[in-house]
Amino acid sequence: MWQWFYRMGSPKWFYEMSGKWLPWLYVLMTVLMSVGIVWALLFVPQDYQQGNTIRIMYVHVPVASISLACFPLMAVAGVITLVWKMKLADMVAKCAAPIGAWFTAVALATGAIWGQPIWGTWWAWDARLTSMLIQFFLLIGVIALRSAIESPDDSARASALLAIVGAINVPIIKYSVEWWNTLHQPASNFSMDNESAFGPEIWVPLVIMIFAVYCFFVISLILSTRNEILRRERRAQWVQDIVAGEKV
Amino acid sequence: MKQQTLDSLPDGHATPVSTFTAFRATLRRDLLIALKRRNDLLNPLMFFLIVVSLFPLGVSSDPQELTRIAAGTVWVSALLASMLSLDNLYRADYEDGSLEQLLLSPQPLYFLVLAKNIGHWLVSGLPVVLLSPLLAYMLYLPADAYWTLVFTLLLGTPVLSLFGSIGVALTVGLGSRGLILAVIVLPLTVPVLIIGAKAVADVSLGLPLAMHYSLLGALLALSLSLAPLASAAALKISVN
Repeated sequence: MWQWFYRMGSPKWFYEMSGKWLPWLYVLMTVLMSVGIVWALLFVPQDYQQGNTIRIMYVHVPVASISLACFPLMAVAGVITLVWKMKLADMVAKCAAPIGAWFTAVALATGAIWGQPIWGTWWAWDARLTSMLIQFFLLIGVIALRSAIESPDDSARASALLAIVGAINVPIIKYSVEWWNTLHQPASNFSMDNESAFGPEIWVPLVIMIFAVYCFFVISLILSTRNEILRRERRAQWVQDIVAGEKV
Repeated sequence: MKQQTLDSLPDGHATPVSTFTAFRATLRRDLLIALKRRNDLLNPLMFFLIVVSLFPLGVSSDPQELTRIAAGTVWVSALLASMLSLDNLYRADYEDGSLEQLLLSPQPLYFLVLAKNIGHWLVSGLPVVLLSPLLAYMLYLPADAYWTLVFTLLLGTPVLSLFGSIGVALTVGLGSRGLILAVIVLPLTVPVLIIGAKAVADVSLGLPLAMHYSLLGALLALSLSLAPLASAAALKISVN
């Protein structure tokens, strides 16, 4: 168990393994994404209240749900960085922050586009919108702290700590904001009944899209982590071998 | 272990200092330093006063309008004043090396950091709380909301100091830290602001406040127990 854990922490091992995973992930994402998007845009029936506007849900919900996974991910990576001083965990945390910030921004933007025709406004100080905005600020804070500290070792540990503090705070912020103001529709419950407003013909493509966007997130994270590995290990022999191999 | 190594030191260092003594000494030292630097003591308070007086100038001098925004204005200004005074918390100690002594001391860092945070709150948070009724009067806050404002600030401003301390500890070694400190710390303080300002607004509507107080109390308890640990870890990262 521990041997496996430490081997996984080696950047070289991750670089080689992720190179093998990537083609499969590309295939999986392409299939899921094309099925999901075609199904959602062409075959899902119009909503009886929201009409065609409902289709933006198939982008908004997956992106939003994955952006919520970002802080826990960074906090777990932060704990690994602080406890086991594993370089790879820090690289993943470093790459996850900007990707998470982008996902949060896209969730806010698609939410605004959805909100305009339904609520009649691009922005409302509603609980979920506000807590998403605060989460965006928190992620920006982590990114800013990391770029402000020059020594890579210190910046790794400082941003790991901030990510853990942020992750403890995210639920507190979420509940306090919810208690403060709520306009957002409650998340719909999945139902097997086709007559229900949220029956299988609505949610099956949504689940497909969630998996597709998850694949996209994992691929982005792996690609950007691989870049980070190459940048930090550029003096290592195995990286020089790769570079020499590509030149030929 | 630490006790033993202390006892085995040469004469003159043989008596180990208890945690409580170290806590009291740290607090006493910080309060003395603050008293010697009157300007540092006064500046956050003046800042608080000035920011609050900007709102009637920027929004409107209409009493009804001001009554509506009074609670939020005082709370946001208190938040900003506490943010501005944070820089004093570890900076001078970092520059003259006494922070390293603090980290090297055998007593648990949690209590020493807690002492520094309490000291910071006593010289920057408490005066803001005491000044707040005057500002509330200038903003036409309804008379029945005064005590709520004071009590919520009394519960909330220590949380601001404790959270802020984590941010300062993380950034104490950086050259330009004013803005990055605000970017890191302000989002963390959102729950305190929401609950505090809502309590003051709700009392004017005649709503019960037990829940607001319990939530603020819970936040205070949580940050008293956890935030100094995070600050201590952050100080160890920043000073090496």
